[in-house]
Amino acid sequence: MTLRVTRRQFFKLGAAGMATSSLAMMGFSPEPAVASIRHFKLTGAKITRSNCTYCSVGCGVLLYSRGDAAINNVDDIYHVEGDPDHPVSRGSLCPKGAGLLDYIRSESRLRYPQVREAGSDEWRRITWDEAFERIARHMKDDRDANFVDQNEAGDTVNRWTTTGMLAASASTNETAYCTHKIARSLGMVVFDNQARV
Amino acid sequence: MNHAYGNAPTGIMHPSEVRLPAEDHFARRARRLQQLAERHEPLGEFLGFMARLAHAQQAALERASSSWQPEPAAFDLALEHGVPPLNIQALQGDIDIQGELEALLDALELHAGEAQRPLLAALRTRSEQSLRQLAGQVLAGESGEAPTRGLMPLVGAALQVAWHRLAHRLPQAPARPSAEVRTLCPCCGSPPVASLIETDASCSGVRYLQCSLCATQWYLERSICSVCEQSGKLDYLSLTPNTDEEDDNATVAQAEACGDCGSYLKIFPRALDADVEPLADDLASLALDLLLGEEGRYRRSGFNPLLIAEG
Repeated sequence: MTLRVTRRQFFKLGAAGMATSSLAMMGFSPEPAVASIRHFKLTGAKITRSNCTYCSVGCGVLLYSRGDAAINNVDDIYHVEGDPDHPVSRGSLCPKGAGLLDYIRSESRLRYPQVREAGSDEWRRITWDEAFERIARHMKDDRDANFVDQNEAGDTVNRWTTTGMLAASASTNETAYCTHKIARSLGMVVFDNQARV
Repeated sequence: MNHAYGNAPTGIMHPSEVRLPAEDHFARRARRLQQLAERHEPLGEFLGFMARLAHAQQAALERASSSWQPEPAAFDLALEHGVPPLNIQALQGDIDIQGELEALLDALELHAGEAQRPLLAALRTRSEQSLRQLAGQVLAGESGEAPTRGLMPLVGAALQVAWHRLAHRLPQAPARPSAEVRTLCPCCGSPPVASLIETDASCSGVRYLQCSLCATQWYLERSICSVCEQSGKLDYLSLTPNTDEEDDNATVAQAEACGDCGSYLKIFPRALDADVEPLADDLASLALDLLLGEEGRYRRSGFNPLLIAEG
């Protein structure tokens, strides 16, 4: 936190200070208000800035969640709205974006890596490590088998056309840069962005 | 496109960055306070009085005119350079505090209860110098001395009328405050009382801070702390009844509490109650302050000249 020179002061408006507050000094009894707090407890919510997942516009959204941040457990996103401060979307969302809450809560949403082996009709849950290994293996095998380093005319082309990649939509410039570097350095030419889908 | 069930937005939203108080702001505040007085029994009497005070403020604003009037061009330079044109430090010596207070007390006289009459009488007998001293304390956000603390909200109310008067004379709203003072009023440099989130289509979802003195509202991005401008450890705390019973006391007010600087400012989403008026609703949600005070993690940054406490 940078220290700013402002006139902002902090106050304590606790039960102890009520007896000498202006409210009491003006002839009103603070007791009923002080007593009333016994009927309540404090509950917290968080508001987190994010981007809509669907397309390349990348509309800003605010995600409302409940849960105790102190134990790093945000258990329930209960509301999604357009971010009025977002320079691109200014708070507006298209029908897809406005339905994000259903997408987040969808029962069929993919939450972890799964695999359906050839010949099987069942999806099996696997670990992230296993998923990365399998993907890397597939990529390596396919690239070794199909990489084209020269075309028929003998020109060096170094291209790999049998595997493609579809990148995520609302990426930052940095993410897009890294994605591009990885895909292109493998010689991959079938490369598109989900924003155009 | 117009539909029976509403209109699609026709363009990009361009919310105003700074909104000057409306001519009838005090009247609206009075109506809201009366509404809250009926709804919040533990604070009913207090809020009822505050409603009558706000009503008197409106009457004083409309009836009397100040003996001191700034030149029409006096604010141009300040507006041009992004300096608060109605700066409280610069103008507090010029304000006709005695005249403003008298007009307010005259309007309030018949509506004050038995217990509050002595306050009005005590203020009438005070010298201009001692009134200026009280006004200085209120404007500086100090809690003053216990014997005079009961007078301070009335002085604060008179100051609100004085600054409303000045705000209505501004040729245009000032620009949004620059980064260094983004969380202080662009009109008078006072701290905010609370903030609200709008629902109107022209500014849907936009947050405005409202000045504790002149009720100017100015834009501040959602979900950042209004004191340290951090956003990482913000929590929106509100009151929930211990039992499952529905309770009107438990709605609307949220404390935007920042774990980085340990302060909170109340925020009122209009979506939860269309009639919200930040200063009125701040008074009515005293229970939230009390519970936060008891819990002890956060301190209040919102300033309300109508409720002054020590510490």
